[in-house]
Amino acid sequence: MPFREKTAWLTLCAILIVTAMFWLHAPDAFNAHNHRWVLLALVLSLGTYVLIEVVGYLVLRLRNPRDAKTPKDERERLIDLKALRFAYYTFVIGTFGGIFFMLHLVHAGPGTIGTVVLVAFVVAQIVKHVARIVYYRRDA
Amino acid sequence: MAPTAVTNSIRRLRFEHGEMTQQDLAEQVGVTRQTINAIEAGKYSPSLEVAFRMAAIFGVRVDEVFHYGGPVG
Repeated sequence: MPFREKTAWLTLCAILIVTAMFWLHAPDAFNAHNHRWVLLALVLSLGTYVLIEVVGYLVLRLRNPRDAKTPKDERERLIDLKALRFAYYTFVIGTFGGIFFMLHLVHAGPGTIGTVVLVAFVVAQIVKHVARIVYYRRDA
Repeated sequence: MAPTAVTNSIRRLRFEHGEMTQQDLAEQVGVTRQTINAIEAGKYSPSLEVAFRMAAIFGVRVDEVFHYGGPVG
């Protein structure tokens, strides 16, 4: 498996783990309007994500020193751009679709709309890394 | 990425140049081994710069490495 594909798997797993950890407890806090907990959970989630990424990347780098030193070539940059396009559409559709749904159909408040944007961003990141993995696997 | 209309003779040229490995060629061209594999399999068309670099490594013209088999005009 190419080094870049391994890093894509690492990021995808980190996002899924941190998102699952956050949403396992978030609904209770949202329902209780415990905004301090939500903020703390967001900061802790971000910290956990960075920790998983840094430790995972260092392990991958130690196990594949030659591949890690090789800069991204034109095909890998193209794969990143194509994956980013999927993520962009996901984010735009998710954000505007979600806001429309929340405002006109559910009549939700601004806090919920902020959550919609956050969810759209996370889903877009997941789509981006899944797309990267699919492109790497198809071209390997 | 969809298969391209560009075919190539990289495998033969590698064989004729001392059975050069994909990794050796990749290092000389400045791309990853996976990219050489994708080009060789016709799944990715390289940039002109990479195509010329490959031709220079094999000591042949670009049209001896890559061949266009698609429609013209």
